[in-house]
Amino acid sequence: MGMSFGKYVAYRLVNAIIILFLAVLLMSALFTKLATIQLTSQVDEEVQMWVRGYTQQHHQQPTKEMIESYRESRIKYYRLDQPYWKMMWMYTIDTFFFKWGNSFVKVFGTTDIISQIKTALARTVLLFTTSEIFIILIGLSLGLKSARHPGSLLDRTISILAMIASSLPMWWVGMLMILLFVVYLGWLPITLYSQVEVSGWANILKKMSLPVLTIVLVSFGGWAWTTRNIMIGTMQEDFIMVARAKGVPERRIIYGHALKAAAPPIITMVIFGLIGSLGGAIITEIVFNWPGMGRLYYEALQLNAVRTMMALNYMFAVLTVLSMVLADILYAYLDPRIRIGAAARS
Amino acid sequence: MRWVDFKDSVKRFWSEYKHQKSGMLGLIFLIILLVLGIAAPYLTSPDMPKQWQTGEAWIVNPKNAPPSWENVFSNQKLADQKVYTIHDMKVAESKNGSYKVYTLTFTYNMDYDIPPKDIVITGLKSNASRPQDNPLISVYVERPAEQGAKVEKFLLLPDTQLPSKGVLHLSYLKEVKTLLFYWLYENGIVKLPMAPPEALPMEIKLMQINQQIQLDSKLYGYFQSMDPMRVLFGALTENGQLRTLDQVINDPKALKGNYKFTIVIKAPENIKVDLSNFEVAMVGRTFGILGTDQYGRPIGVGLLWGIRVAIAIGLAVSISSVVIGILIGVTSAYLGGWADEVIQRITEFFMTLPVLPMLILLSLYFGGRITLKQLVLILVIFGWMGTTKVARSMALQIKEQTYIEAARALGASTGRIVFRHIVPQLLPYAFASIALSVPGAILSEAGLSFLGLTSNNMITWGQMLNVAQQNGATLNGYWWQVIPPGLAIALVGLIFVLIGVSLDTVLNPKLKRA
Repeated sequence: MGMSFGKYVAYRLVNAIIILFLAVLLMSALFTKLATIQLTSQVDEEVQMWVRGYTQQHHQQPTKEMIESYRESRIKYYRLDQPYWKMMWMYTIDTFFFKWGNSFVKVFGTTDIISQIKTALARTVLLFTTSEIFIILIGLSLGLKSARHPGSLLDRTISILAMIASSLPMWWVGMLMILLFVVYLGWLPITLYSQVEVSGWANILKKMSLPVLTIVLVSFGGWAWTTRNIMIGTMQEDFIMVARAKGVPERRIIYGHALKAAAPPIITMVIFGLIGSLGGAIITEIVFNWPGMGRLYYEALQLNAVRTMMALNYMFAVLTVLSMVLADILYAYLDPRIRIGAAARS
Repeated sequence: MRWVDFKDSVKRFWSEYKHQKSGMLGLIFLIILLVLGIAAPYLTSPDMPKQWQTGEAWIVNPKNAPPSWENVFSNQKLADQKVYTIHDMKVAESKNGSYKVYTLTFTYNMDYDIPPKDIVITGLKSNASRPQDNPLISVYVERPAEQGAKVEKFLLLPDTQLPSKGVLHLSYLKEVKTLLFYWLYENGIVKLPMAPPEALPMEIKLMQINQQIQLDSKLYGYFQSMDPMRVLFGALTENGQLRTLDQVINDPKALKGNYKFTIVIKAPENIKVDLSNFEVAMVGRTFGILGTDQYGRPIGVGLLWGIRVAIAIGLAVSISSVVIGILIGVTSAYLGGWADEVIQRITEFFMTLPVLPMLILLSLYFGGRITLKQLVLILVIFGWMGTTKVARSMALQIKEQTYIEAARALGASTGRIVFRHIVPQLLPYAFASIALSVPGAILSEAGLSFLGLTSNNMITWGQMLNVAQQNGATLNGYWWQVIPPGLAIALVGLIFVLIGVSLDTVLNPKLKRA
């Protein structure tokens, strides 16, 4: 029994929201412990500050009862008097509905977590989405080319490249790039990579060049290889044989028949790639001192900014879930057989 | 499966695997790595992971020194690290009043354009409890003969206390600098306003010279900017003519040849002195095969020990997660119905969680710095889902085969069907995916270590890169701190990919591609 496309989309969306909520619940369970530790020390700090302020104003120490009542009011304010599960639940709800509030420490010049993430996201998109577009263009065209001549020099080179790249840490390649182009060849000024923020569009573009090169270099081989495999798989299907037997020219077989059939997995890959690029790569951004999502995560980690980390984790989860749902929906749109399977399961 | 069948299938597998060129290459490299990893304690010392952190062992090493073979490619030869232990020295014992006197001599062949960075004396043990009982050390140098120079043998370090486990860095001692100035004065290079009388005891003479240097701003400037080692190992003359003070200090030229060092240790008779660990290090400007990091730790040693953690984590994580993944996948497929549904939803849920942020989160939950066992556990928690998905789909096909139905009809138990009939068929897939998932585990470990989240009780390549990053190794051009650890990570990854792909080709002939 089939399922209408609209119904299928709704089914997938509800499913995704449930999964996302559960993920936030799990993350909150882990985070509440960290947040509790941090908030407890925050309360201690605030009480001390209050005592100091009071002493200065009234020229005498506040009484023990006064200190205790102030401490209790702070504990209430930070909801530390609540049981663990309740704190976790409130934390989950707040995070899930984007009520991220303020962090105790400044990152990127602000404590407002939403604007921290907005700033970071824009920069990550600039770097990683640009790179991803390059990767897709180069990877797809090389993949298609090597699928046309399996076993050729290009084909073997791509396989080896993909194999090597899969065992290289991208951030390490980044370190090598800096060593080579900045330190040894001196093509780019060292100040670009020794500091986080860079001003001026020309400088930002210059700063981008090396990470873009790194990301493309490490990732395009894998892309080309996967595209090649999908295409070769499709080329062995019966309808290609039929087309060949009918005497359709090889070019048209590849770019017309086969590519159309191979579209769903390739489009899925593109979507995963593009959405995945929004999350950046934590360590690569640290290596290049690029002030995006990954760098924000690292600064939050260093400064113990628990709420910022939680919000970022949520963003990463949203991106993953979003790409999975979009891929599923597109798959279903392009290949209606999928929906039947889902219907049979549900 | 009978033993004979097993032997037979292993034989068959091996005869096919032998022909996989890349697979054999991977296997050979893996064996080399395993041998190196096992040999690490014997090649270095068994308590290396502890020493690595405490740093006591690295006091005599230069910091951020490039590998010594870099000299081959440069026209200026930099001094290499050279350590003299008590076995490399001639030892003579004598008595002087109520003092025991040990005279140690050795010859250093200075054959470089840039002399050592420092001379470090360490490893003297004594049972002195009061400062006045500490052994006293003085050092004399006899430089190679030089035409035009008057004084070739002179005192470099006057009687200086060395408490038990103490360290003397001669480059940083004011007495050494003053004595070098005095020696330059004796040779006629430094002009002191007032000649210090010969007859005075050394301490008073030093005080007097110091005073004169302090009062003369020009002399004081030279005194401050002097690199004692460049002067000690530098030429005093040029073509038989004395060089000026400015040349000696600001444009030093190395004087190659044999330098004879005499170290005199004086200790009160009732104090026991143990010289067995005594060391004098000519601190190099280069070090060993792979140089040092900013704490003076040899990169080569770290690289060698890192093999153990990399292989241990890689194998432990990939084996556990593949085994768990297959068990869950097969269970899911075999049970079917709502149980299958629940397991699949849980699997998808885990796939949805962003891996690195979750790893960071969990390591923070475990208390910031996670141990090896916790790390394996965390990586397994986030590593089983892929295998489960594949194992389930394979098991669903196998389940429908007639012989399974036959077995069920014959009354075989669920466990028997699963473990005798379904799981063995998945083994080829399992082996290949174990090998293929090793690199991922090693990369994850390296990433977490790079972020400084793993325990200090082990030496890992990721931590070495973390140290390098904090040291600004890339921007400073310390390539030996960046390239080797990353290359090691990549190499191990590549080895397992090669083995995995070959296993895949041999064991899963169905997957053979065009």
